[in-house]
Amino acid sequence: MNEYVPKKVKITDFRRETPDIVNIRADFRCRHNPGDFVMIGLPGIGEAPISISSYSDKYIDLHIREIGNVTNALGKLKKNGFVFIRGPYGKGYPMEELEGRNIILVGGGCGVAPLRSVLEYTEKNRKKFSNVDLFFGYKSPENILFRKDVSKWKSKFKLYMSVDRNPEHKACFNAKTGFVTDLVKKSKLIKENSVAMICGPPVMIKIAVDILKSKGFREDQIYISTERLMDCGLGLCGHCMIHGKYTCLDGPVFRYDEISGFGSE
Amino acid sequence: MSCFTLRKQDLDRLVKTLGREWDIHAPVKKQGVTNFEKVKDAGDIVLHEHSYLPLKRMFFRPRETLFRFDRGKLSVPENKERKKIILGAKRCDLNSIMRQDIMFLGETNDVYYKNQRENTLLIGYQCKSAFDKYCFCGSLDLEDCQDLMLYDRGPVFLVEATSDKGESFAKKYMKFFTETDSEPTNEEKIIKNADRLRKKDISHLYDSGKWKEGVDQCLSCAACVLLCPSCYCFDIEDENDMNLKSGRRVRNHSSCQLKSFTKVADGHIFRESREDRFKHRIFHQLQWFRERHGMNLCTGCGRCIRFCPTRIDFVEMINRM
Repeated sequence: MNEYVPKKVKITDFRRETPDIVNIRADFRCRHNPGDFVMIGLPGIGEAPISISSYSDKYIDLHIREIGNVTNALGKLKKNGFVFIRGPYGKGYPMEELEGRNIILVGGGCGVAPLRSVLEYTEKNRKKFSNVDLFFGYKSPENILFRKDVSKWKSKFKLYMSVDRNPEHKACFNAKTGFVTDLVKKSKLIKENSVAMICGPPVMIKIAVDILKSKGFREDQIYISTERLMDCGLGLCGHCMIHGKYTCLDGPVFRYDEISGFGSE
Repeated sequence: MSCFTLRKQDLDRLVKTLGREWDIHAPVKKQGVTNFEKVKDAGDIVLHEHSYLPLKRMFFRPRETLFRFDRGKLSVPENKERKKIILGAKRCDLNSIMRQDIMFLGETNDVYYKNQRENTLLIGYQCKSAFDKYCFCGSLDLEDCQDLMLYDRGPVFLVEATSDKGESFAKKYMKFFTETDSEPTNEEKIIKNADRLRKKDISHLYDSGKWKEGVDQCLSCAACVLLCPSCYCFDIEDENDMNLKSGRRVRNHSSCQLKSFTKVADGHIFRESREDRFKHRIFHQLQWFRERHGMNLCTGCGRCIRFCPTRIDFVEMINRM
């Protein structure tokens, strides 16, 4: 099998979620863990690593922020069009190991997408997990992702939402104005038997980790998701290496104690 | 495994005989620069010389077309390779090939590398002493990973078979090889004056302030990586034909020393400082690869120092730390 050659896959649904994020639902069936990613692209443009934001054996959802050459091209696709995908790759969240624990999810912006895969897994296996607390933050009301899921999540889990700013007081599912990390800070979290999964911009991750640690969480109770450029996804090209670890093989999800010594990198 | 002798005067006849079936690549000196080239005449071969360019280019090629695309259809180029003999590779370069094998044929089955690599016979040539003052292979516990090794013994080569493939090759060409009880001595196995790296473990040196002396001279030109026989980083890029409908996805050698190597879509660069990039390479070579695969990635060939435009000698730097 040639690992570099992607599969041509049909887009079964395509919708714009926010001004700069589109959702591609692709007819790509694979076994994966929440937190795993695929390489998605178009011949002639290139490929980008994107986390799977669903947990289904029938399709994969990908939420793509239009920010570079590849993602901007993907943002112009249409339903029933085609896209090229290979994967899944990576070591996601060890859901089976975490059975019986309380789950705390902290997501910022596009970083909420991989956590939605965790949520869908949790919904399918609700009895295997205790409390599930969600802290999702977005820049502004129009940047809120997964609008269709919000009421369902509110009924099943404890959902805290924030928007960094909302000067025009737009409707935003009663999200608080402020940083998502402030919501984490203010909330009463049970640290015993809990794990926190954090995904978002590096600054948010850093602050969230500090807050959790100040609340008594140990480093091995925290999982963070790292973002790196990748060309191959196979543990070869070297672009995603952090102190000898490959984000594409050993990550993108790392238990915090595995990489906390790596400094700013 | 058996040992054989090969008379030096028979080398040319051997090369010509093998040439009918195999492509033979050996070090050849042209205009003062030695490189591996296809040879037909043993007189062109300079066995004792180090090649300027690393051997990895034969298998992990500087530019590889992964597939062609045309209006949404992908096709992988067919590869028809003749059998190859690499003759006269040094122990450092042979060990580097083994490290490339680990990467490209281990967890990942890289078909492009495999196409080039399979049907290759590696015949090494044991250096008697360091080629120049930059070599340090003796500090790195190199192994036998060739098929046959030549030891220079004046009028003859002692040929040691170090793999089954090497053994059956020699037995097939017994008109040139004579079986012998003689084996390479311990002294012959040691490459003299090549053990100048004096630290085995550099893990505690990451935060040393002394990296600065090398970093200050580094131009981030990436010559070290391109000439390294072990480094295996690459970029994948799409190239379009003029019609913008067809083209190819290619893999090109790349380098962790380039600033853009860790640049993500929003413009953030993870290893922005030259010091971080410089240390990244040294630690990958001398620590992180070992943590993963039980051996250093570096094999001590010295090219990254010999051909560094500002001659940064990281071995001396580490020794002084």
